[in-house]
Amino acid sequence: MDKAASHLWLMRGLYLFLALSVMFFHLLPLNTQPGRWPFPDVLIVLTFAWVLRRPEFVPTLSIAVVMLVADLLLQRPPGLMAALVVVGAAYLRASAPGMRDIGFVSEWTSVGVVIAVIFALNRFVLSVLSVGLSGFGPVLVQVVLTIAAYPLVVGFSSALLGVRRPSAADVATVGVRS
Amino acid sequence: MAKDRAQRDDYTTPLRRLFMGIVVLCLLGIFIVWRIDSPRVEKFRAQVVDSVVPSMEWAMVPVTAAVNLVRDFQSYQRLSEQNQELRSELRRMRAWKEAALQLEQENARLLDLNNVRLDPRLTYITGVVMADSGSPFRQSVLLNVGERDGIVDGWAAMDGIGLVGRISGVGPDTARAILLTDASSAIPATIQPSGQTALITGDNTPALAVDFLENRELVRPGDRVVTSGDGGVFPAGLLIGQIAADPGGRLRVRLSADFERLEFLRVLRFHSPSPIVDPGGIVGPSRPEAFLPPKEAADG
Repeated sequence: MDKAASHLWLMRGLYLFLALSVMFFHLLPLNTQPGRWPFPDVLIVLTFAWVLRRPEFVPTLSIAVVMLVADLLLQRPPGLMAALVVVGAAYLRASAPGMRDIGFVSEWTSVGVVIAVIFALNRFVLSVLSVGLSGFGPVLVQVVLTIAAYPLVVGFSSALLGVRRPSAADVATVGVRS
Repeated sequence: MAKDRAQRDDYTTPLRRLFMGIVVLCLLGIFIVWRIDSPRVEKFRAQVVDSVVPSMEWAMVPVTAAVNLVRDFQSYQRLSEQNQELRSELRRMRAWKEAALQLEQENARLLDLNNVRLDPRLTYITGVVMADSGSPFRQSVLLNVGERDGIVDGWAAMDGIGLVGRISGVGPDTARAILLTDASSAIPATIQPSGQTALITGDNTPALAVDFLENRELVRPGDRVVTSGDGGVFPAGLLIGQIAADPGGRLRVRLSADFERLEFLRVLRFHSPSPIVDPGGIVGPSRPEAFLPPKEAADG
């Protein structure tokens, strides 16, 4: 039991650490030339992949903190994207039990829909409040790349970090859901 | 056991929902406050960046250096070719240097003759680029100089040759420079030699757009673009780049500064000239003589 609790906190810390290192790579001053290929939003994909597999590793509070810090550091309007991601993660968290048996492709589809809705809502709210918007093309490319990155992140986190859905045996031994 | 868990869920789910609602409301609140009072929240953002990014620097510097080393390795392969190119370039530069020295002397002589006083306040502070904006839709860099070094919002940032951007957001130890290529950047400029004024705006592409140009016929590809100093934000005469025409025939500005690798930026200290408020003694109407106090009258 004690071991399980320390593992839980270890994985929660690992999520924060991974998020921080993703931001670190975003901030590296490697190329200041504009017109680079927009990169996938790995933070969102990582959050959703973990929420569907081990919701207890990514509590709402750490998602909110990570996304808010990302908003602040990456020069986005602070708070909006964070709120949308928290809501999206809550939706996925609620539907996670149903997604156990539907197979990976349908899971990927629903995650893709949630990501697309998040980006669309973000753009919609920004345009309603007349915040300066970037071009539509790069954002579309970013959404597509983000959705395409989902299987990679899932593979990475389940193969290297052991973030998989708990099997029936695990549930029986641990017996605690959060 | 199953029943036990179901019971616990009955209690925790509404609580969890409430908690999530509070978190989302807080985040949206931050967003709304940002929309209403952007400067204050941006100041907060500058302070967050100021406290987070310098603590990452120990890791950022070696990683950046390693990636650049790998990139440079490809150019080492054509070392001899490059060497020859550089040598011929150097010969040409020597000729130019002679010409420049002569011109400089002549210039100094002429300035002396005309008793011209150059602006002595146009000195600079050099900063190192620590991080970029982290987003493909924003073009800015973070410098390691800030309030501590006397940096003020709005000052111009240059590399050795051309204008790079302006300071926007100053923390205690860091300052953010919005690059000319950012979509929110617009600089009033003069196109030499025709003297046409235009607004040079960024649009997230490497070459900038030329807006509000009065007479397009007078502008040719290859013309120099310098800041005009209109608006009193930038000093006049900083080199921005050269005019080029894109395949569609639209004018663009090719930047003189090397945006591919921004490492050191000069931030120019600039205090806009104080505005002239009164008409002066000669031009204005003569006002009735002031009553002289008796002491001064006694002196006279």
